[in-house]
Amino acid sequence: VPGNMYFTTTRLHQELAGGTFEDVIIDEAHDPESLHPFKGNVDLDRLERLIRRVGPDRVPYVSVAATVNMAGGQPISLENLRAVRELTRRHGVRVILDATRAIENAWFIQQREPGQRERSLGAILRDMCAQTDGCTMSAKKDLLVNIGGFLAVNDPDLFEEARNLVVVYEGLHTYGGLAGRDLEAMARGIDEAIDEDHMRARIGQVEYVGEKLRAAGVPIVLPLGGHAVFVDARRFLPHVPQERFPAQALAAELYLESGVRSMERGMVSAGRDAAGEHRRPRLELVRLTFPRRVYTQAHCDVVCETVEEVSARAASVRGLEMVHEPRYLRFFQARFRPVS
Amino acid sequence: MRSPIEPYKIKVVEPIPFTTAEERRAALEAAGWNLFRVPAQRVTIDLLTDSGVTAMSAHQWAGLLDGDEAYAGATSFQRFEAVVQRLTGMPHVIPTHQGRAAERLLFDAIVPAGSVVPGNTHFDTTRANLEARGARAVDLPSPATREPRREHPFKGDIDLPRLEALLREHPGRVPLVLVTATNNGCGGQPVSLANLAATRRLCDAHGVPLYLDGARFAENAWLVREREAGLAGLTPREIARRAFELVDGCLVSAKKDGLVNIGGFLALRDEEIATRVRRQMVVAEGFPTYGGLAGRDLEAMATGLDEVLDPRYLEERIAQVRSLGDTLHAAGVPTIRPAGGHAVYLESRAFAPHLDPLDFPGQAIVCALYLAAGVRSVEIGQLMNGRRGDGGRELPVAQDLVRLAIPRRVYTCCQLAYVAEAVLEVHAARDRLAPLELVDEPPVLRHFSARLRPRE
Repeated sequence: VPGNMYFTTTRLHQELAGGTFEDVIIDEAHDPESLHPFKGNVDLDRLERLIRRVGPDRVPYVSVAATVNMAGGQPISLENLRAVRELTRRHGVRVILDATRAIENAWFIQQREPGQRERSLGAILRDMCAQTDGCTMSAKKDLLVNIGGFLAVNDPDLFEEARNLVVVYEGLHTYGGLAGRDLEAMARGIDEAIDEDHMRARIGQVEYVGEKLRAAGVPIVLPLGGHAVFVDARRFLPHVPQERFPAQALAAELYLESGVRSMERGMVSAGRDAAGEHRRPRLELVRLTFPRRVYTQAHCDVVCETVEEVSARAASVRGLEMVHEPRYLRFFQARFRPVS
Repeated sequence: MRSPIEPYKIKVVEPIPFTTAEERRAALEAAGWNLFRVPAQRVTIDLLTDSGVTAMSAHQWAGLLDGDEAYAGATSFQRFEAVVQRLTGMPHVIPTHQGRAAERLLFDAIVPAGSVVPGNTHFDTTRANLEARGARAVDLPSPATREPRREHPFKGDIDLPRLEALLREHPGRVPLVLVTATNNGCGGQPVSLANLAATRRLCDAHGVPLYLDGARFAENAWLVREREAGLAGLTPREIARRAFELVDGCLVSAKKDGLVNIGGFLALRDEEIATRVRRQMVVAEGFPTYGGLAGRDLEAMATGLDEVLDPRYLEERIAQVRSLGDTLHAAGVPTIRPAGGHAVYLESRAFAPHLDPLDFPGQAIVCALYLAAGVRSVEIGQLMNGRRGDGGRELPVAQDLVRLAIPRRVYTCCQLAYVAEAVLEVHAARDRLAPLELVDEPPVLRHFSARLRPRE
């Protein structure tokens, strides 16, 4: 299953189903200092080579995320998505969109892609979806709800099969394990999420924090992503080697400083490969993820001050060692202690 | 003594839809004679299920705003955890989005392929979850269930001699015994504490863990209080606690006695199993402190699990269901006796003796009730439980029932009187019930989406 960078749970489900994930994102995505406007783009040559190498029959779908969370909330361009569609059409391979933050992605397309500035977010979103065969959606992000998600597909046979399976583990296909009020909240959230005033304020808040940290000399991933500011822990703690989990260590320091909780997105999240070795991602990041419509600018200022205060004493941070490691999705429940 | 009345008044109402006979006919045809496929706005009284359709209290609705949506370690989880610990006495509390997710997680942790899992009667999703893992689900209902119309206080009991024989026959292959209380698959009948205690002793003798499916733990406690000798002086909470103390763990769909629209949980004594479940659940359910639920849902469950044990609530709830059952019984309609805790069950084959068991007599009654009055019920018989044998030939199931499940705190006595009138009307014209045949069916849990048609 090729995709524009892995996501933790997505890759695990691909593996549990007996598949393997192949990263086909452009190289710029792995470079926190590259200013490419669409670091979520698929490397089309790499995708085509992969399909030719293994044969289209062994590629059940191409997994395209918009935006790409693990790359720093980076968008994919509409032009690139169209090219992916064209390429996969020639090979008879499906494209499934991870639409979790697709409306934030639509905003970046509107702002950054030539010829898109006058189009509405709804029209761009629809255009993105039209380049795919279906999408998975965690509505807990762009759709502004506390619980919910959905699967939407064009293929009636796939639809029928998914509908038959959903009752075993989730609930009847007309409620999917959600209360009726949650379906109402999602339906309303879709309309509110494509409102440009909402999205301008949303992305604007993330930009505010990012610009403030950048001005203070804090190393962050650029350009700024949609839902979070990603601090580059490798540059923040250059003296802490990757096996001492610099991003996890930085997240812990931010919490100690002022009770701000962030999340590691580096080697702990990446887990181990089939041979049991740590996967060593080039990106060792701390994600300051901004809930939608929750915090004020004053709250954001406290976050910035916290990062700057830890930055001032960065040399004293020595890293962590892992003392408890679960088999799956270890970042959720692993335990650490400071190296002595 | 005065009749029990609802221990609440109505604060918010929701209009119910009314339809013409022609509209119902058109809706049923479009739905392939399957009420699961009929849209809710074409149903006047909805007795499809008692699950997730509860009216929440003002306190629960208000609690929705207190819900803490933190991804990890939310305060709503802490409150929920304390409520379940107090209820069950079990230290490890794991929320899930509903009961079947709790089943899947528990079975993933402790049921290897090739196992045999006995129970008093497994519910349809429980059976599907067990079979999906390559385990065999064995029903051992009380012998009293063989006489549906016989009055017997504890038809939900497990058949102890057969359980003992099964445990002797399969040493090392039984990872758990699962008792469902009340026993939904057998007419919502209660399980006595004496039977549960004897089951515990058998399990101990064979070194097998005992688990409770406690979706209707409070209704079971009330029926035990009414019927089991020497227990009338205990509160429902004390009786429920005694039941929980007899088991190693429980799985609960809170959409029933949790009085909520969504939610469930696992409560466990064994720390090692709890750790395994918590590691596994992040893959497809959610982090262990939210389990696929919003924080507000944990608040609503915590409140509902306390409210359900109010003796006035349980007294009226059980009396409402019993009243519908007694009315039908007195008029000569064949039902499982006594009425269950959450539902009245019609005996399809005695109701429509002119139909062959493979003609889906239960589904024919379900469709006739809908056509007559817009009442939606559910078949628990050939359509839900039927399997195909060699050559794809349909095999008759042991029992064919129609369940009239009563949502909690939703319908009034007048509305249930309307239901009784509709059943009597269909019963009076039962000779005209026509056989049904399958048009298409999915491979698993076919009753949810199969299509049927009247046979020419």
